[in-house]
Amino acid sequence: MESEITGEGKPAEDSTPSPPPRHERLRTILHALRSNKGALAGAIIVSMFFVTALAVFIAGLLHTRITPYSPIQQDVGPALAAPSWAHLMGTDELGRDVFSRVVAATPNDMAVSLTVIAFSLIVGAFLGTYAAFHGGLVDEALMRMTDIFFAIPGLVLAMAIGIALGPGITNMAIALMVIWWPPYARLARGEALKIAHQNYIEAARLSGAGRFRILLEHALPNISQTLLVYASMDTGTVILIYAGLSYLGLAVRPPFPDWGQMVSAYQDYMVSVPWLPLFPGIVIALGVIGFSLLGDGLKDALGGS
Amino acid sequence: MEDNQRDDVILETRRLGKQYPIRRGFNPLARNQPRFLQALNDVSMKIPRGKTVAVLGESGCGKTTLARAITLLSPPTSGEIIFDGQNLTKGKVNTKDLYRRMQMVFQDPDSALDPRFKVKDLVSEPCRRLLDASKEEVNEMVMRSLEIVGLADYSERLPGHLSGGQKQRVAIARAIAIRPEMILLDEPTSALDASVQAQILNLLIELQNDYNLSYLIITHNISVAEYLSDMLVVMYAGNVVEYGPTGPIIARPRHPYTIALISSAPIPNPWKRNLLNTEIMGEVPSAVHPPSGCKFHPRCPYADKICGEQTPGMVEIAPGHFLSCHFADKTA
Amino acid sequence: MSSNGSGKLLAISDLSISYTSEQGKVHALQDVSLDIGENQFVAVVGESGCGKSTLALAIIGLISMPPAMVESGRIEYRSVDLLALKENDRRKFRGTEIAMIFQEPLTSLNPVYKVGDQIAEAIMVREQGHGRGEGVGEIGVMQRTYDSKSVSAPPRLHLPRIAPRDRTSAVLDALKRVRIADPEQVIDRYPFELSGGMRQRVMIAMALSQKPALLLADEPTTALDVTTQAQVLKLMKTLMTEVNTSILLITHDLAVASQVADRIIVMYAGDVVEDSDVYGLFSEPLHPYTVGLLSCIPSGSKKERKLKPIPGSVFDLTKTTGACKFASRCSRAMAICRQKKPALIEARKGHRVACLLYGG
Repeated sequence: MESEITGEGKPAEDSTPSPPPRHERLRTILHALRSNKGALAGAIIVSMFFVTALAVFIAGLLHTRITPYSPIQQDVGPALAAPSWAHLMGTDELGRDVFSRVVAATPNDMAVSLTVIAFSLIVGAFLGTYAAFHGGLVDEALMRMTDIFFAIPGLVLAMAIGIALGPGITNMAIALMVIWWPPYARLARGEALKIAHQNYIEAARLSGAGRFRILLEHALPNISQTLLVYASMDTGTVILIYAGLSYLGLAVRPPFPDWGQMVSAYQDYMVSVPWLPLFPGIVIALGVIGFSLLGDGLKDALGGS
Repeated sequence: MEDNQRDDVILETRRLGKQYPIRRGFNPLARNQPRFLQALNDVSMKIPRGKTVAVLGESGCGKTTLARAITLLSPPTSGEIIFDGQNLTKGKVNTKDLYRRMQMVFQDPDSALDPRFKVKDLVSEPCRRLLDASKEEVNEMVMRSLEIVGLADYSERLPGHLSGGQKQRVAIARAIAIRPEMILLDEPTSALDASVQAQILNLLIELQNDYNLSYLIITHNISVAEYLSDMLVVMYAGNVVEYGPTGPIIARPRHPYTIALISSAPIPNPWKRNLLNTEIMGEVPSAVHPPSGCKFHPRCPYADKICGEQTPGMVEIAPGHFLSCHFADKTA
Repeated sequence: MSSNGSGKLLAISDLSISYTSEQGKVHALQDVSLDIGENQFVAVVGESGCGKSTLALAIIGLISMPPAMVESGRIEYRSVDLLALKENDRRKFRGTEIAMIFQEPLTSLNPVYKVGDQIAEAIMVREQGHGRGEGVGEIGVMQRTYDSKSVSAPPRLHLPRIAPRDRTSAVLDALKRVRIADPEQVIDRYPFELSGGMRQRVMIAMALSQKPALLLADEPTTALDVTTQAQVLKLMKTLMTEVNTSILLITHDLAVASQVADRIIVMYAGDVVEDSDVYGLFSEPLHPYTVGLLSCIPSGSKKERKLKPIPGSVFDLTKTTGACKFASRCSRAMAICRQKKPALIEARKGHRVACLLYGG
């Protein structure tokens, strides 16, 4: 069918780029990971943590364990023994295998950080985007509310909430969720403001899309990239803060292992048995570094494109 | 304004106005600052069914505000809009019904398409949301629409992999997919190369003929306005200064601004260097502090005392040809 | 078309520039040859991607190499090959002999300095002689964009010791020359406080304050309103005689070119396809691409004339060919067009064309 447009069968094109490869974004990420050594290291570390956490968790469900020893059983070896092949991280003052304890504690931090980040992402994204699109009083209200959160040191607030709720890992997770979402809301708001006046948002209105649908289908997907990059770096921070709460004794209570709590319990032995508090500390640091590297790599990979 | 014949008018605006409040904060020194910005003032026009009306003007004249007001994206603060007999400014308007019959193509093809939506999803969005059609029916409408604009093979692409002209064609496909009666086009070809522009213009004319579409085209390009439109609305600083059939206005513009505008338009003719003979001084006035009386008077070669004191009304100087100027006889 | 040292202001011969990109090597310019004489207004016209901006940037030396590289050719300014110079020597020409203004003046002016200071600095460069050293010549006219993302700290202005009184009057003169009313007010304004037309005038003032022999203008009026465009173009033409400059105007708008230029050069996909004095081009456009461009321009009403867009798509610059690049879109293509590359020859007096229809 000849079109009148150009007088030829095929319409004229202006310089068109060739069709894109499939799954472009995934490829960009994978490529970035391959080329950026730091990001690769981060990805490996993070994967190790997740796999370990998952393994421990599933093992627990099946009433078995993957660690060499039970994390709570005492006297599996001589007390305060140095690291050896039998006890990779040595033993603590009650003769428990430190390595088993460290590994067994992995799901705690992973679960808490995932939950807190997921909550913050979802709540922050919705609130921030809605405020940006709505403007006016709603926007002002959100800004001032987040201002209040920013004015108070996060850890102190989390502690206060934690103490009010009582110790325990769930309560700590709740406390962290409460203080964690404001930066996400602000970030989402900033990104949403950038696109709020894009023509495609107005075009969506002309297509009959309601406000909520525009938010969900047009706004959120277009701001997700920035938020996700921020979240990936931020996960490390949750781990750190949670470890801090755990150090203060607000999370998991002995005899159950938890990294922060272990650092606190073992720090008395710092001089004579230095590896004891160091091992859990190093693992915490590793977790934070891993997520930081990964997030940074993602930022470079996606931020540039 | 009498109708001599029963014109079939699809859209009419009556004294349309749009005002934006200016935020001054609590600064006591700002007490004497203006409180409002008048982006549109007293805009009246009629769009006959099946015809093209071009709104011609430069930056700050309010043409985009006009489009957004008519489509109710940014509703007017005064005046009326009558769309096919229905008053859009009175009472609650069902926007879904409205958008089934009135669509818009935006100025910037890059920002008009959601970068995360495939072409077929972009084009199908109005069909899905505004019509009660089944999935198959929607698909069919989308494919037909893409075929018309010549992008049948591009349904799976993302906007990032389309050229400017193709993006604009997708936007047009989206607008026509639900078979509206009227389409507003905001600078549809400004961002495009000459050849692509020609394609798009041809496409628009073809669509108008095939589907009896009515167009309101907003442009600052006089050649495009002259080529496409049956009627011309010349705007300056929020007001309509001249309005009437395109041919006569281009051939013999009467408003001093229209005269300046048309003589500034570059034509591909080195023997007629009108551009270098134009003598227009000054700049578009600030919308916050507009000149008193006729907004064009500080720049007008014919201006006199009355021009700064009184805004001229719209006078019909020929059948269907309206002018807003105190000295209509000076340019006759 | 070889250059000779016969007093031509600018002689470009067989210039080929390519750059590497993700899609491969892009041949932005191929064997481009053209001359510009004294006091001439030349327009380079073409659609996006034809290489016209690359040409201008190559002349003034603002292309970063890598990723670009000069494959061959010479750019001779008053018989000096600019491409053969070292950057330090080339800088002596930039801003002083050859100046450039860009499309979007808001990004060409430094947002944190007042307009008056920026003009003053441009003037200082000339007064102080050439090659003053790092930084000075770079700021102002030369620096292409103050991309808000890349500026960390504003560069320090090196305003040498000249009595403020003299400096100010020089700046005022510069502004008056571009017909700005109230130059005393404008001196103290920041770029964002001015309108597009004013900013472009400031750019022109800065560019011409150094009395260059050649002014390059890359789409200077594309972002402006029609009436402002007319004002700016008229200004440029007037100043050309006042300051005794030649102007090379880059534009996609053939109509604009026809209104102001003495000569028009049409480019397509990195080649010069037609080069003629303006009257010759419009009385007898030779190259089918030029004819195509002209038939795309809307004029009159839709009832009178149907627009004829050029079929096909722009030649892919990542490819090279021994044939005519326009052949696949050409309504008058002959068999030989797909085998032989046309050379730029003088088909009529003062009118060169690269098309096998006319020999070559």
